Amino acid sequence: MGAVTDDEVIRKRLLIDGDGAGDDRRINLLVKSFIKWCNSGSQEEGYTQYQRMLSTLSQCEFSMGKTLLVYDMNLREMENYEKIYKEIECSIAGAHEKIAECKKQILQAKRIRKNRQEYDALAKVIQHHPDRHETLKELEALGKELEHLSHIKESVEDKLELRRKQFHVLLSTIHELQQTLESK
Amino acid sequence: MERAVPLAVPLGQAEVFQALQRLHMTIFSQSVSPCGKFLAAGNNYGQIAVFSLSAALSSEAKEESKKPVVTFQAHDGPVYSMVSTDRHLLSAGDGEVKAWLWVEMLKKPPYRTSLEVPEINALLLIPKENSLLLAGGDCQLHVMDLETGTFTRALRGHTDYIHCLALRERSPEVLSGGEDGAVRLWDLRNSKEVQTIEVYKHEECSRPHNGRWIGCLATDSDWMVCGGGPALTLWHLRSSTPTTIFPMRAPQKHVTFYQDLILSAGQGCCVNQWQLSGELKAQVPGSSPGLLSLSLNQQPTAPECKVLTAAGNSCRVDVFTNLGYRAFSLSF
Repeated sequence: MGAVTDDEVIRKRLLIDGDGAGDDRRINLLVKSFIKWCNSGSQEEGYTQYQRMLSTLSQCEFSMGKTLLVYDMNLREMENYEKIYKEIECSIAGAHEKIAECKKQILQAKRIRKNRQEYDALAKVIQHHPDRHETLKELEALGKELEHLSHIKESVEDKLELRRKQFHVLLSTIHELQQTLESK
Repeated sequence: MERAVPLAVPLGQAEVFQALQRLHMTIFSQSVSPCGKFLAAGNNYGQIAVFSLSAALSSEAKEESKKPVVTFQAHDGPVYSMVSTDRHLLSAGDGEVKAWLWVEMLKKPPYRTSLEVPEINALLLIPKENSLLLAGGDCQLHVMDLETGTFTRALRGHTDYIHCLALRERSPEVLSGGEDGAVRLWDLRNSKEVQTIEVYKHEECSRPHNGRWIGCLATDSDWMVCGGGPALTLWHLRSSTPTTIFPMRAPQKHVTFYQDLILSAGQGCCVNQWQLSGELKAQVPGSSPGLLSLSLNQQPTAPECKVLTAAGNSCRVDVFTNLGYRAFSLSF
């Protein structure tokens, strides 16, 4: 058990400060200087040692404060990233919906285009045939001409009938005259 | 044509034969399974191969996923046409129609029927009546009831063999096109020929040097596209007038409507996409020198397998995931 925790401890210490230059060394130095100060002789030397120890202590405290601030900063960065991640997820979902919407719109637009093209194709065929109004007008004009001509035909026939009757009357009177002259 | 001369080394003869078989293979028909995840293809040796579309389209697809899941000898002669119902795959060849269960592809067909029709070129399912329409070499359309398997009627009118069939959904009419150059519309309720359009008689689309045969038909209730010997033309059915002629010199063997486009394939190696106004929107090359059939997998149960597959004069089936390019090819 002790060996395992020792390993852990060693691993942790190596991870934090493997190169031996830094806080770990400073703390070791502090402990050594404290022991030296306790065993020191003169007042002045003790005082300088004391000042030196205080400054080392404050250096350690300073680096500790720095590490705490960095830790805080990391926590806040993590929160920030979480927030951004959630926002991006939302916008991805939104984009998916928009894509589905757009696909529906494309289908609709394709249907509309197909209808338009069908209409165009039929319209082209229809254009080849002449306009209905013109044909109707032509039909009317032809009908009127037909009527007019049939009127003329009727009047000519009437005249013909009249002339025939008149000739008939003339010829019959001539015959009668001839018969009366022969009988005399 | 040279015969395959057996080499002095007996080893590898089977491989040589197989390679020659693959070289001369023509895939005549395709059909998508009702679940949308499988594609069946029938070739001129009478074999049917079933490919797994979902495996070939998935992100971990390897070379083996592009090979058939199962291949079996279905008919003695070529498999000219296939169609799928809810549970069965119906395949038709020279004179017989067989029904295979999609779930158990390798077992013997649960139903088969023989008819004296020499080549059954086209099969059409009529879902409202639950019947199957067959058309082929004897110039007649035969209606077979799917539940009982008996042939109920025969529609006569064509003077030469029939190539293709199409169903006009709104009024239950069937269009058939054949070698005699006429597209005939039949009313199914009273089994009479309603309309006849003799395509080769219209000057704008007829091409006498190609012949008058109608190789492909597709209909969209009011409109119809047909092609083959005469040029590929869009017709308005009510007035029987040709409205748009698509400027494609090669005769087309298969045509279908898709969204606002018309897709056609034929003697060239490309799948052509046309707009209804007659413009060629795109020409996507496939891997076979000539294409005989197109199949669009639009089954709602498998939207991830929504692909266009094209097959023809080779042992490969091209898969187009996006109409703009050929994604890969499945092969026998």
